[in-house]
Amino acid sequence: MALLEVSGLSVSYGRVAALNDVSLTVREGEIVTVLGANGAGKSTLLRAILGAVPAKAGGVTFAGEDVSREPPHARIARGLCLVPEGRRILISLSVEENLLLGAHMRRDTEAVRREMDAIYGRFPNLAERRKMLASCLSGGEQQMLAIGRAMMARPRLMMLDEPSLGLSPLFVSKLFALIRELNAEGLSVLLVEQNTTKALAVAHGATVLELGRVIMAGDPKALAADPRLQEAYLGEGAAAPAPY
Amino acid sequence: MLLQQLVNGLMLGAIYMLVAVAFTIAIGVLNFLNFSLPGLFMLGGMLAFGMMKLGWPWFLAFAGALFVAALVSLIVERFAYRPMQGSDPEVPLVSSLGFLVLLENLMLIRYGSDQQPFPALMPDMNLRIGEVVIGIAQLVSLGISVALVAWLSWFLAATNAGRRIRTVAESRETALLMGIDIRSLVPALFVASALLAALGGILFAVNYQQVSPFMGEGIGFKGVAAMIVGGMGSIWGAVVGGLLIGLAEVLSISMLGADVVNITVYGLLLLILIVRPQGLMGRPATREKL
Ligand SMILES: Nc1ncnc2c1ncn2[C@@H]1O[C@H](COP(=O)(O)OP(=O)(O)O)[C@@H](O)[C@H]1O
Ligand SMILES: [Mg+2]
Repeated sequence: MALLEVSGLSVSYGRVAALNDVSLTVREGEIVTVLGANGAGKSTLLRAILGAVPAKAGGVTFAGEDVSREPPHARIARGLCLVPEGRRILISLSVEENLLLGAHMRRDTEAVRREMDAIYGRFPNLAERRKMLASCLSGGEQQMLAIGRAMMARPRLMMLDEPSLGLSPLFVSKLFALIRELNAEGLSVLLVEQNTTKALAVAHGATVLELGRVIMAGDPKALAADPRLQEAYLGEGAAAPAPY
Repeated sequence: MLLQQLVNGLMLGAIYMLVAVAFTIAIGVLNFLNFSLPGLFMLGGMLAFGMMKLGWPWFLAFAGALFVAALVSLIVERFAYRPMQGSDPEVPLVSSLGFLVLLENLMLIRYGSDQQPFPALMPDMNLRIGEVVIGIAQLVSLGISVALVAWLSWFLAATNAGRRIRTVAESRETALLMGIDIRSLVPALFVASALLAALGGILFAVNYQQVSPFMGEGIGFKGVAAMIVGGMGSIWGAVVGGLLIGLAEVLSISMLGADVVNITVYGLLLLILIVRPQGLMGRPATREKL
């Protein structure tokens, strides 16, 4: 069953068209990756799916409901959530408060506690620093916190915007292992990545954007072998996918 | 009599504190130096006076004054703050000043420009401790102000709504992505700061038994000063700043005379800001950093 259905989505910032007639589908239990060079419109796509930027045309259906006219908080309440580009950890809040912020719309306090403990179990570094300001975390820990915060919303679909950006190779491997793990536990994932090799290796489906348009879509293994994928990154000067 | 002056200073400081907390919410979360707040302070005192003059019992008059202040604050949000989003921060500041002048003149037309005597609610009930005399009304006001601010601080620290407010204060963009409904949060904050300011005005009227259409101005400036001394955006900073300025004012009146009171108060402000530019309890700016 299709969990997320994006059809013909177009977004403009003023006169600049950032997305043009983009469609994609994420089925329940899938990892779908969106690839493309810098400025291709990947972040815009995720923000439009969340409702944080208005769509000029097209629609978003989530779990069978048309959510195109709903604000972000309503879509998040339905089980959609975003781990934003640059993590956007709140540095004036403690680690624990950042996690609780992820659950700010939930009223089932006891389940929230239990899930927070489970997140601490998964990320012991966060547990040790739970009372400290989130600004004291390393980049990798901040990414774990951003994902933990998103999990606290109890999402059905988690969108991640370049989560591996700026992380050490060790943390990148941990991150992709975590994405696999969460997916195995039933979470559907829409993953925007610059690290095409790793992203295509975990994904069940892939879409490539160039200048706001879908130029390729389909099976990740076929895409990984397609020379046009590397061309899509030429504009950025990164002829080959990232090495790790 | 020093002890008596300290007590009086704390009472006055508690009123500055309420105004300072109202300002600090507006600047800390909404990034808006809301100059209609002194007008709402005045509205609290004047409308409580006006409704009691109509024969309303005091609690209805107080509730009515708070209600109207909250409504007016929603109008300020709608017409001074919301349309100016995305433009320079000075624009809503100036239009909120316009609201201050408007409110003052409306009250002036209705009640005249003179000071009006506010009826004593608890006539001649005083507590005597040694030589120190504490009015019951003063004590109750101090208790209400401190309890309210302590509750507010707990609310911000320990509830989901409090974390939402602090998230908006740090970054609106992040707040939007976290599913915080900023459109409904902002008016709620306007109501909260209006209630604090108007309550300050009511307590001022009860304690000093006088009201006038211009009672908000001097106190508004001292409330801003208290907020800055304490550290903008910090609730406990506003508390410390408010009490400090109240004490400085009362002590300098009794020891140096009423003529120099503004020199001492604003001199103190200047001195503290030279030594600690971020205020006593303020953190250096952290907004919109990732
Ligand atoms: N807030 C904005 N205002 C104006 N233009 C923007 C804004 N955000 C992104 N853009 C433009 O939209 C295009 C797509 O950006 P983005 O979605 O961030 O791409 P990506 O995430 O793939 O790097 C770019 O040309 C970018 O300059
Ligand atoms: Mg991006």
